[in-house]
Amino acid sequence: MDLSEKDEFSAEKRNPDNYDSVNNPSGDWRVSGSNPIDSYPSENLISAGPASCSPSQMMDSFGQTLWYDPTSVQAMGYGGFSVQNNGGNASSSSFRGNIDRSLEMGWNLPNLLPPKGNGLFLPNASTFLPPSMAQFPADSGFIERAARFSLFSGGNFSDMVNQPLGNPESIGLFLQGGGTMQGQCQCDELNVGEPHNDVSTAVKDPTVRSCEQAKPNVPGSGNVSEDTQSSGGNGRKGRETSSNTKKRKRNGQNSEAAQSHRSQQSEEEPDNNGDKKRNSEQSPNSPGNKTNSGKRQGKQSSDLPKDGYIHVRARRGQATNSHSLAERVRREKISERMKFLQDLVPGCNKVTGKAVMLDEIINYVQSLQRQVEFLSMKLATVNPQMDFNLEGLLAKDALQLRAGSSSTTTPFTPNMAMAYPPLPHGFMQQTLSSIGRTISSPLSSMNGGFKRQETNGWEGDLQNVIHINYGAGDVTPDPQAAATASLPAANMKVEP
Amino acid sequence: MASADKLINTDVPEKDVFALHFLRSLSNLRTQNPLNSPDKSIDRVRKIKKAAYVSMARAAGGNSRLWSRALLRRAAKDDNKSVRFSRRKRKVTWKISSKRRRSNQRAPVVEEAAERLRNLVPGGGGMETSKLMEETAHYIKCLSMQVKVMQCLVDGLSQK
Repeated sequence: MDLSEKDEFSAEKRNPDNYDSVNNPSGDWRVSGSNPIDSYPSENLISAGPASCSPSQMMDSFGQTLWYDPTSVQAMGYGGFSVQNNGGNASSSSFRGNIDRSLEMGWNLPNLLPPKGNGLFLPNASTFLPPSMAQFPADSGFIERAARFSLFSGGNFSDMVNQPLGNPESIGLFLQGGGTMQGQCQCDELNVGEPHNDVSTAVKDPTVRSCEQAKPNVPGSGNVSEDTQSSGGNGRKGRETSSNTKKRKRNGQNSEAAQSHRSQQSEEEPDNNGDKKRNSEQSPNSPGNKTNSGKRQGKQSSDLPKDGYIHVRARRGQATNSHSLAERVRREKISERMKFLQDLVPGCNKVTGKAVMLDEIINYVQSLQRQVEFLSMKLATVNPQMDFNLEGLLAKDALQLRAGSSSTTTPFTPNMAMAYPPLPHGFMQQTLSSIGRTISSPLSSMNGGFKRQETNGWEGDLQNVIHINYGAGDVTPDPQAAATASLPAANMKVEP
Repeated sequence: MASADKLINTDVPEKDVFALHFLRSLSNLRTQNPLNSPDKSIDRVRKIKKAAYVSMARAAGGNSRLWSRALLRRAAKDDNKSVRFSRRKRKVTWKISSKRRRSNQRAPVVEEAAERLRNLVPGGGGMETSKLMEETAHYIKCLSMQVKVMQCLVDGLSQK
């Protein structure tokens, strides 16, 4: 029964015979058809608490729609959908209404889960529910996600085989499970066992094609999915938890238990700085759970056990305690940062081992700080009056300070004006003469006595400037000083 | 290298920014002690050093880094008139790692080294180890930049 349902699920490649086999045991179909009715109370929850549980419900409904899709679309004259219609019009219509409602609500939610679920059958679903499904974009990333999703769901079929559950609800659950456990795991799971492979190959064409595309890319692009997940992961996390716990109550499957464990896990670790982790396999519901999931984990750990921010799996043979998992993530973060530091600190490439590395880093920081102190001492001695002759400094440093930025060194604006051409004293005189010119030209209208005064004052001005230059610091606020400031004002603004 | 790593962003401004800030602070120092230079060399050294750190913190991004914030706050506390330090508008939630320090299940080797690092890096007291290492990386970069600037200054001055 399960196998037949799976066949239908993976529809395209199958013969119509399979459809017959599916639909002839219409009791099964009805069972599956009636199961949505069982899920209706849960779907009613969609209206009740959208934020908390709708993804799961939506996934159920999606699963159900997906369930019905292939038959409706491919088996044209046949149609599981027609069967459904025959079976219970009220239920189906109401079910459809639920789907629409859930779809709309799903559309309001962060669009992680719903597109994934629908991407699987988007090509087919478009005929099924055109108004609502048409909303979902069918871009390449979408297909890739769908592929991963299908891969995961394909991978889960082997688990499903053992379970006496044939309802599409379970498939919906698996789809959601695929949504939760996206990333690298899926391909690994596919590589695990033969039933996995069979089912995976039996997956529909577009998904298979994108699977085969996505498969080699997944380990590389796992980060992409992680990022996309991480972007919405925060919003998902809270929802996932409640949905997972609900699912757990419903059927208590291994994967679901795992997801609920994961969700509990994530709930338990709010202190992880906003890391959206979903650690798998919390300490035990039952040894069966552990072994089963441990088997899966073991295979997966060989490839990419963790993605750091979203999804952590316990490695094979390691403790699956929540604390240890958090510990592991933290340790890996630290080691990552240490690698980064290793690049920074010179001469640390040969050093291996955290302790020695850290010692090196500490030594380096200490040496840098000592260097700062030493250089400041040197600066103090070289410049006892702290008369920083900026023009010389800037010239010899060959630092290219921009004019705008240099204007902010206010007290030095007179000096800055002189700093630009890199001739210390000769230019100072030049600038002074230019200053004198600028001063004298507006004042040329004044009487000669004043001019003479100007020239007298000019020398005083020169004295002033020299004082400014050589550590005086107290610029007497005479007009000449103001005039000296006016020249730099020509170049840049003077801050009072 | 730093900008390529999307997880840890330790970009540091160009040398010019550091130089600008440092020179500015030095000039501020000079205006503070106009003609009367009775200060001993030690005081001068200390002032220059402080100016160096403060300017480095400002150049490195003011309030955007934990260590720079801690540095500026420390400096403002000591000497209120020279350093301007504004509180952040939104509250900074400091990660209290003291609780973790007590129950130190984390690798003790790492943790003791982290403790030493915390004493070195300003503001390290309230950080988790991973965050501490990020800050250390940025701090190291800024420190090396500041050292370069100061070295250039000293060379320029000594050549004259």
